[in-house]
Amino acid sequence: MSERIIKFTEAIKEATDQVMEKDASVFVVGLGVTYKNGADGTTGGLKEKYPGRVFDVPVSEAAFTGMAVGAAINGLHPIVHHGRVEFALFAADQIFTQASKWNYMFGGNNPVPIVFRIAVGRQWGNGPQHTQALYSLFGNTLGLKVVIPSTPRMAKGLLIAALQDKNPVVFLEPRWLYATKQDVPEKIYSVPLDKAHVVREGDAVTVVAYGDGLVASIEACEILGEDASGVELIDLVSLNPIDHETIARSVAKTGRIICIDTTNNAFNVGSEVISKVAQNTSIKLKNNPASLSCPNVPCPTSTALTEFYYPTKVDVANAILGLLGKSLIKKELSFEELHLAPSIVIK
Amino acid sequence: MFLIRTVEQEIAALYMKNKIMSFVHFCVGQEAVAVGVCDALKNEDKVMGNHRSHGHYLAKGGDLKKLMCEILGKENGFAGGNGGSMHMIDKSVNFAGSTPILGSITPVACGAAFEQKYNNNGGISVGFIGDGASEEGVVYETLNLAALLKLPFLLVIENNLHAVNTRLHERRGENHNIEKIVAGFGVKYLRADGNDYQDVLAKAKTLVEDVRNGKGPAVLECITYRHMAHSAPIFDENYREEDVLEKRLEEDSLKKLRGQVAESGVSEEKLSTIEKELHGEVSGSIQFALDSMFPPKENLYKNLYV
Repeated sequence: MSERIIKFTEAIKEATDQVMEKDASVFVVGLGVTYKNGADGTTGGLKEKYPGRVFDVPVSEAAFTGMAVGAAINGLHPIVHHGRVEFALFAADQIFTQASKWNYMFGGNNPVPIVFRIAVGRQWGNGPQHTQALYSLFGNTLGLKVVIPSTPRMAKGLLIAALQDKNPVVFLEPRWLYATKQDVPEKIYSVPLDKAHVVREGDAVTVVAYGDGLVASIEACEILGEDASGVELIDLVSLNPIDHETIARSVAKTGRIICIDTTNNAFNVGSEVISKVAQNTSIKLKNNPASLSCPNVPCPTSTALTEFYYPTKVDVANAILGLLGKSLIKKELSFEELHLAPSIVIK
Repeated sequence: MFLIRTVEQEIAALYMKNKIMSFVHFCVGQEAVAVGVCDALKNEDKVMGNHRSHGHYLAKGGDLKKLMCEILGKENGFAGGNGGSMHMIDKSVNFAGSTPILGSITPVACGAAFEQKYNNNGGISVGFIGDGASEEGVVYETLNLAALLKLPFLLVIENNLHAVNTRLHERRGENHNIEKIVAGFGVKYLRADGNDYQDVLAKAKTLVEDVRNGKGPAVLECITYRHMAHSAPIFDENYREEDVLEKRLEEDSLKKLRGQVAESGVSEEKLSTIEKELHGEVSGSIQFALDSMFPPKENLYKNLYV
């Protein structure tokens, strides 16, 4: 079969398009989603193809998100797009209190089929109020399903699965990955929303990562070459629920775990993962669990400072080597590698 | 209206006997708003409410036994005890849900109207909020959005003069004018005497007709009196200015309606019989609820997801 290399953003658009074609209840709402390059290139052209089903809206996040929640409660299946998580917080009540609790508080049989597409995380020059990821905030909220696509193939499969689910799904898109490319099947396919994905198998160390941290981990394995042969790399995929079973199975085999977070250290995802591993009496760890994350300060704007903010592929590689008791490597990264979003082709 | 009043009074009596462990906000005094608006609607129209929605639920035809069971935390409640008094729902009569985060229900009810327009099914949606909730920003965002999309959405603001115990003039500038604000969005606004069923009904009918005919959203503000305290069946008088006890009794919507019905030729005997029947229905429902089972422990873990 010939390869079909497409971008992360194209994979999202393709998933949206293919589901909209089959399911008339699906519509898209968000700021600028009707633009040619709408929603970072993920919705352009859809309004022309599906008139009356793609809505640019006033800058009123709480209202249009709440309206979509109401539409979902009454049988439609909206995709709500927020270009930055900070703006989604204007609609926090609707996401965290209304959509997430609706089915439980009415005793079941009250589905809220809705997808909240929210772009999160790093991007050069965006500073403290445009780069938050807030993974723990979403992961901590009961009643939401929360996924983070880490590659174009996952992005398409997860979005289709989210649109086939009857529950509110928060789709946290690491903006940093929008230009990454991958061979993506053209057909409609879905990926389970609640399962971690073993990206590569190994028996010496389990690396748990998600989003841009997963891509950094894939690149770290490339740097490590032969030294990566024992790495079992797990794409976490879902924050709610976390697939502790897959992680436990892996760590029981490797005896070592390292978690890669691309958000600050306090209350992060790695802490949750490591906590459950530590409590699992059937796992005998060979080393203390390790964790890489951002420091407990907001992400600044100047590249002179952001250079030290996110764990790089070299940091990940060295963390793996350190856990395996091997000597560390020294590798200078270029300005582009440090500060510009990757446009690599992921295998 | 008599049914709602009786239900509220009976719930209040149970509340005082510590039989109710669900936060209750009573609508005694405000019944004409719920009934007047719902009487202007068709069955297929949808209604959504707030923390004080027993009346809205019953006025739309919601099941009384399920309501009583829910308030008493029983498995036979419409939400199996997960919701309680502040989370009412009966989809069989298109009462599409109520939530207690005040202004929140405004965009959600607008979303119900969005679905009706999207599927062009002819229905309209109504959201009930209070005057306190109407001070939250999302309400105004929603009016603009609903006007932009010309949605079949009627927002009813039940103005009982208080946000908990805080009076209007303690929350609004002296020249505050809700009619002008709503008009500024290009949205039609009418004000009704919320203590007068006939006035609410007439104005609701006018707006419902416009909304149904595709003229976009509308706002009906009903000035009314909350006889009881914010969330307890007591009659705290300290903070009241206009709606003092004497005035509340004089303007009581139920008394007014009863008088009008009697004047129209319905005999006292007939009225008493109906009231007795309704009272019996309420008592029966309470007994049914008292006799119903509490939900089993395992239900705690059910229904987080569909």
